[in-house]
Amino acid sequence: MSESNVITVTAEWKKPRPSIDHDNEAFFDGLKQHKFLIWKCKTCGAAYWPKAYCQHHDNEPFAANMDWAEAKGTGKIYAFNKHHTAFSPGFKDEIPYWYALVELDEGPLVSSTLVGDKRPKDIYDIGQKVEVVYEDHPNEGFTIPKFRIIG
Amino acid sequence: MPKHPSSGKYAIVGLGVIAGNQPDKSERMIAAEAARLAIEDAGLTRKDITGAIDLRRSGGGGDRASYSDAFTRVLGLSNNYYYINGRGGALAGLGMATAMSFIDRGISDYVCLMGAVTDWSQAQESKKKGYRGMAHAEKRGYWGKFVGDSTAVSHHSWMAARHMAVYGTTSRQLGAISVAQRQWAQMNPEARMYGRPITIEDHQNSPLLAEPYHMLDMSLVSDGAVAFILTSAERAKDLKSKPAYVMGQGFGEVSSTVWWDKKNFTHMAVEPAKKQAFGQAGIELKDIDCVQFYDCFTAEVLFQIEDYGFCKKGEGGAFVEAGNMAPGGTIPINTSGGLLSCYHLGDLTGLAESVRQIRGDAGQRQVKDCELVMTTGHGGELVSPGMCSIHTCTILGANP
Repeated sequence: MSESNVITVTAEWKKPRPSIDHDNEAFFDGLKQHKFLIWKCKTCGAAYWPKAYCQHHDNEPFAANMDWAEAKGTGKIYAFNKHHTAFSPGFKDEIPYWYALVELDEGPLVSSTLVGDKRPKDIYDIGQKVEVVYEDHPNEGFTIPKFRIIG
Repeated sequence: MPKHPSSGKYAIVGLGVIAGNQPDKSERMIAAEAARLAIEDAGLTRKDITGAIDLRRSGGGGDRASYSDAFTRVLGLSNNYYYINGRGGALAGLGMATAMSFIDRGISDYVCLMGAVTDWSQAQESKKKGYRGMAHAEKRGYWGKFVGDSTAVSHHSWMAARHMAVYGTTSRQLGAISVAQRQWAQMNPEARMYGRPITIEDHQNSPLLAEPYHMLDMSLVSDGAVAFILTSAERAKDLKSKPAYVMGQGFGEVSSTVWWDKKNFTHMAVEPAKKQAFGQAGIELKDIDCVQFYDCFTAEVLFQIEDYGFCKKGEGGAFVEAGNMAPGGTIPINTSGGLLSCYHLGDLTGLAESVRQIRGDAGQRQVKDCELVMTTGHGGELVSPGMCSIHTCTILGANP
């Protein structure tokens, strides 16, 4: 993990805060340690995000056969849109922003906005490789995953 | 194909519609008034209504009615039960399915189902605080809000984007859906966009809000209410309005298979819903005279055209561009103007139009010899922003 995969933001957070609960707090803790966790089946290895019982076979109570595991943090763009409007006032300074649905190399789909220099050239231009960038908010106590197009 | 024994055994016998912005009225009064109109339309009295269902985007969610202001109390109905039903834009379909159970067991003779919103009025207020659209209805969400998934179009536009990238669909083709529905709206004085026709260039020139979506790919934000009365086919025979018989209903959830197959950005959960509804009615797609597809955005219409089989998957763009869904086309779709051009009351918009088409009350836009109408509902993300939505299909008929 190179240093360039971490952005530190100290400005006050004026957007909605992440919804962190019993099911995803380990995931958000992982982000703070600059790890992108996915939910994996210890029996068959199937990967999920967000949390689910394994779809391939019977499960132990409360899906005890599953656990969080570190993903590669890479994937490809499955679809994206470009917001020209801030529907919520906290995003006024960011428009236009590219909001992408990313298919992780392990399979699950995850969404976030694109950072870095590269952008898809038009709406038909999907499938680019991306990697996770960790946006630390030390004053707020959370880290947000973003994606950057590589190669 | 033989019909299911339940097909044609229930009917919609009263309809009440409050359309247009209602800046000086409360939601409970709009709701009560729509219910009053529906009861009057059926030729019934308040005492006849022995069951009531309040159709809301999320039963038990953020827009829950407080029980002291329910339209049933305001209007003074004789109902034995009142509860909230609905999910996202899937309201009328789900409400009817449960109401039939009460009728079937003799608990209710006549059920009043009603959905009301004051979204336009509330959006005027949130606009003053810098929001656009339906901020008042947005749930906190499990994921996405903090990275800019602010409103429905923030993730619904992926459906258009993915379909475009996979099948080569164009923005102009999506625009053809907007234009066709606006053409229908020009024949509907109740439509918000009556008297305001658009061209494909207007669609292309409308602001790009969440690309690939232009403003004219997005549905309206509305005030209003739709209420209707459901009863048995036997009772329906003696009432003053022409019954719209329930011929079949079906339901599908994206979370069953489509989401796991990652097809939820190009497909809706139509397959199981179609199989159930058409199977009950004992009909085929070619028997349908008129369609009211749920149309929160243009791509949802495109997906359903393909998923129901009006054309092959991926060929919906060419289908709509050729004018097939517009007035004079091969299959009349969203003849009221729909959510894009008439008003947005979830699937109640299509339900109300379906009843009118069956009755022959649709004025200039009336589909000739309209005997079978299909109306659908959609919505309620299970994993925002995962687009994990329900799909509902209801077939109404002129003959039991």
